[in-house]
Amino acid sequence: MTKLTVVELKLLVREPGSMFTILLPLFILVIFGSSIPPGDTVLLPMTLAIAVGLVGLYLVPTTLATYRERGILRRLSTTPVRPRNLLIVQLLLQLVLAVTACALLLAVAGTILGAHLPTRVVPVVVAFALGTAAMFAIGLLIAAVAPNGRTANGVGVLLYFPMAFLAGLMQPADKMPVILARIGEYTPLGAFRQTLQDVWAGASPNPLLLGVMAAYAVIISVAAAKFFRWE
Amino acid sequence: MAVIEVTDLTKRYAGQTVLNGISFSVEEGEIFGILGPNGTGKTTTVECVEGLRRPDGGTIRVLGLDPIKDGRELRELIGVQLQHTQLPENIKVWEALDLYASFYANPRDWRELLEQWGLADKRNARFGKLSGGQKQRLFIALALVGNPKVAFLDELTTGLDPQARRATWEVIKQVRASGVTVVLVSHFMDEVEELCDRVAVFDGGDIVALDTPAGLIDGVDAEHQMRFRLMTGDASLLSEVPGVTGVTTKGDQVVVTGRGDFATAVTAALARNHVMVADLRIDKRTLDDAFVALTGRSLHL
Repeated sequence: MTKLTVVELKLLVREPGSMFTILLPLFILVIFGSSIPPGDTVLLPMTLAIAVGLVGLYLVPTTLATYRERGILRRLSTTPVRPRNLLIVQLLLQLVLAVTACALLLAVAGTILGAHLPTRVVPVVVAFALGTAAMFAIGLLIAAVAPNGRTANGVGVLLYFPMAFLAGLMQPADKMPVILARIGEYTPLGAFRQTLQDVWAGASPNPLLLGVMAAYAVIISVAAAKFFRWE
Repeated sequence: MAVIEVTDLTKRYAGQTVLNGISFSVEEGEIFGILGPNGTGKTTTVECVEGLRRPDGGTIRVLGLDPIKDGRELRELIGVQLQHTQLPENIKVWEALDLYASFYANPRDWRELLEQWGLADKRNARFGKLSGGQKQRLFIALALVGNPKVAFLDELTTGLDPQARRATWEVIKQVRASGVTVVLVSHFMDEVEELCDRVAVFDGGDIVALDTPAGLIDGVDAEHQMRFRLMTGDASLLSEVPGVTGVTTKGDQVVVTGRGDFATAVTAALARNHVMVADLRIDKRTLDDAFVALTGRSLHL
């Protein structure tokens, strides 16, 4: 397991997509961060949601579907190591990647940009955990049903844009039509962004939004597990 | 001792029978060939034996273990090279070997395999940058890195150039010499003829013949030919020779058609009657002929 983790980590670092998911939200943060007021509670939650969304919808499905397409899972099932272990290692590493991307955003925003950071840690962690779980579940479902890596990638990107739009990641939610913003709160990415924004503004997380994320995480994971094919 | 025992194995996909109750056994230390066109159940058979697929009927024992029930134990003892599998583009050759070695309780030293399979100078190359032949050799090395008792090699030399194929055959013989039993799935006649101790010929979900390559060739009662140039005398006496089915003469060129070991009888008859010939050629019968005779069609259509 240790060696598998080390090798998979090396592969993740060598994959240009991982750099992209770290650098794109950082780029957005730096570009827009230089021209917004210091007490802002909108931009940083937006970029955090972008980072988690990219990992969940872009990297998770593409990597896993490619592993199946290339017969790597099947080849593993002829060894004493179960292919399930590879999936677990991959998900943990993708989680590490999402945490790294978010930590980097918080560090840059907190130091260079002097952005506002919430003082209560627990709500941030809870929101992050639920939001990531929901996005990873969607990524897993895409990986489960996509016939190959390229399709998984395409579906992920195709889903990302409408979800990011509804979630208020393209423009701040308060500049969106009310009806779209309301719908957006019932999408996993929108609930995630709104929860973070509430926490940033000093409020408690809205239980409804936490419930939305948890529901997506559970229901879609079950569907992914049901539809997942090893070959 | 039988390393693999398959009895009445059946497998159906979506109502279609792929394996029709086949039986065979593989002895310790032999190279056992599974020969047949695509879609005749070769790969399905091997996948059932490896425990990748669950049979619909029949029993399988590999090293005394049930591939499904004792799968975990069995996977320590077998090495597999699958058709159509790849590795991640960015994994380096040594990383792949090191990783796969870590899966097994008693692996081989992968550095030796690196040397043996001519990959030492590609040690740090990424999988995506390897040539087809190098990838194939890496897959074989990965199949052997767990120090298996039985190695399953599916379409071993597909994608290799003739020289690399010959080199691969030599190393496979070394693998057998080291005591590993090899199951070789192939649709190359020359490969099977060169390497296999025994061959099962698959056709339409059945085993239509199981013998040594020489036995399969000898068992075929097909006509073949010998030809020569007549220097002196007359070739017409040859039509009386046992086994000969036809003699055609065109100028001084003679073609004799026959069955079985007619060529020996023909040369003896020529010598007895002081008929001088030159440029004598006997068309060697091959496994190809045996295959056509067994299945009624050629593999290479």
